[in-house]
Amino acid sequence: MSALPSSSAQERPSGIPDSAAPGPFAVGEYAAALRLKLRSFQRVQLVGEIVNLRLARARVYFELRDAGGALPCAAWREDWEAMAVRAGSEPADGMQVVVAGGCDYYPGSASASPGFSFAVSDLRLAGAGDLLARIERLRKLLDAEGILDRQKALRRPTLPRTIGVVTGESGKARDDIRAALGRRGWAGRLVWGFAPVQDRHAAPAIVAALGDLAAVGGVEVVIVARGGGSLADLLCFCDETLCRTVALLKVPVIASVGHHTDRTLLDDVAAVSCSTPTHAAEAAVAVDCVAARAALTAAAGRLSTQGRRALLTRARALTALSRAPAAQLARQRAGLHQQVREMRAAARRRVQEERSRAGRHALVLSRKVESTRHDARVRRPADLERLALALAAHDPQRTLERGYALVEDGSGEAVVSAAQARARRELNVRFADGSVAARTREP
Amino acid sequence: MSGEPFGKGEGESGAPAQPGGAPQTYEQAAARVEAIIRRLDSGEASLDETLGLVREGKALIEFCAAELQAVGGALEELRLDELVERLERESAR
Repeated sequence: MSALPSSSAQERPSGIPDSAAPGPFAVGEYAAALRLKLRSFQRVQLVGEIVNLRLARARVYFELRDAGGALPCAAWREDWEAMAVRAGSEPADGMQVVVAGGCDYYPGSASASPGFSFAVSDLRLAGAGDLLARIERLRKLLDAEGILDRQKALRRPTLPRTIGVVTGESGKARDDIRAALGRRGWAGRLVWGFAPVQDRHAAPAIVAALGDLAAVGGVEVVIVARGGGSLADLLCFCDETLCRTVALLKVPVIASVGHHTDRTLLDDVAAVSCSTPTHAAEAAVAVDCVAARAALTAAAGRLSTQGRRALLTRARALTALSRAPAAQLARQRAGLHQQVREMRAAARRRVQEERSRAGRHALVLSRKVESTRHDARVRRPADLERLALALAAHDPQRTLERGYALVEDGSGEAVVSAAQARARRELNVRFADGSVAARTREP
Repeated sequence: MSGEPFGKGEGESGAPAQPGGAPQTYEQAAARVEAIIRRLDSGEASLDETLGLVREGKALIEFCAAELQAVGGALEELRLDELVERLERESAR
């Protein structure tokens, strides 16, 4: 073996006489060289049954066997738990598994025994033990039944007064939730429903706690939190009864049990799924009470300012309105004055017009008077003379002057017929130069 | 705690009615207050609307303040198992 250490002549005793093998070598050196050699072997996958599984604090040991032989296997505890989660189930004795890894050798020491093992770095459950596939089937079934949507339809209060929490009593989740709520400035009522969340049998206790929280009433939101513990514990959150119970609750459930990469069925069923208890607490109380109080104070201040401003505006408007009558009167007065002025002006114009019209009439009249005066003075005497001459032509006196006589009765009435003369008896015959009394003789 | 540890929260029944008459949550009330302030700040509201909004806003702020007040005291922590036990004892009596 070329990798074997060279011999050291100083401390080494002499070898076996006549032996063809090189050496002697210090065993520690040989063991270290052996480890290097074994680790250089190709990494492979093996299939077999788990036998004699032992979980130590930091390491996990078991044998992988089949009918033809066996191999001691080992894994780091942390890696083993991650593998169990990925597998969907906790590997146990008798399970058929496929493991991936390579040969390793622990060289031991003066006080520790050496050991060969196949170092397992990955694992898959084979056959009936494949829980992951079963969980996926269950997920599809619940989805088809609408179980995954029920919690999402619930109204989730942003500022609940009472919060229920299902978690392990000794877990870190309890402190994380309390601290997160404190940072939110939330100090309502917390009801702790402690249940084991440490192993695969925790599901019934979680179901019971959820039922009790819903039954006592007043709880507005429930957080199911898992802080610390092993990743394999997640299996209890894939329990069908737990999922169906959560789906039927009227109170929204916030799950914080999984990790970003390992999603449980509870994460799918719950109203909200969070990666940590801290996030779950923040989701339960969406309102940051500290900020909300400050915002509310500011809002109240602004509202008050706006209110005062509005009132001031209204007061100004009212003042303006109260001034209005005086202004109106002034306007009316000015208007009236104007009207009066206009009326006066109009009256003056009218008077002047009337006056000038009267003047014109007077002139016309005076002209007419003049004309009349002229008539009276010049034209009328001539007319009178003409009329007098006409009248004179018809005067009876003129007829008497021409030799005619006028017969009158005693009263001076003209007697114009013989019958009248016989009736009167006493008559007066007027001549141009005087009258003569006469008497009829005929009876 | 008194005899009625989980009576109906005031927040569920004490919410002021919206114009529509429906009771509301803290979130709705806070959102409405913000909307009111935005409207007032815009300067577009008439005098009458402003006074109405201020009145509504003050009622909402009182509601929100009461909600915050309810979770602003000292954290009260209860154990579910003890609570259930006591409720069962009381119901058995």
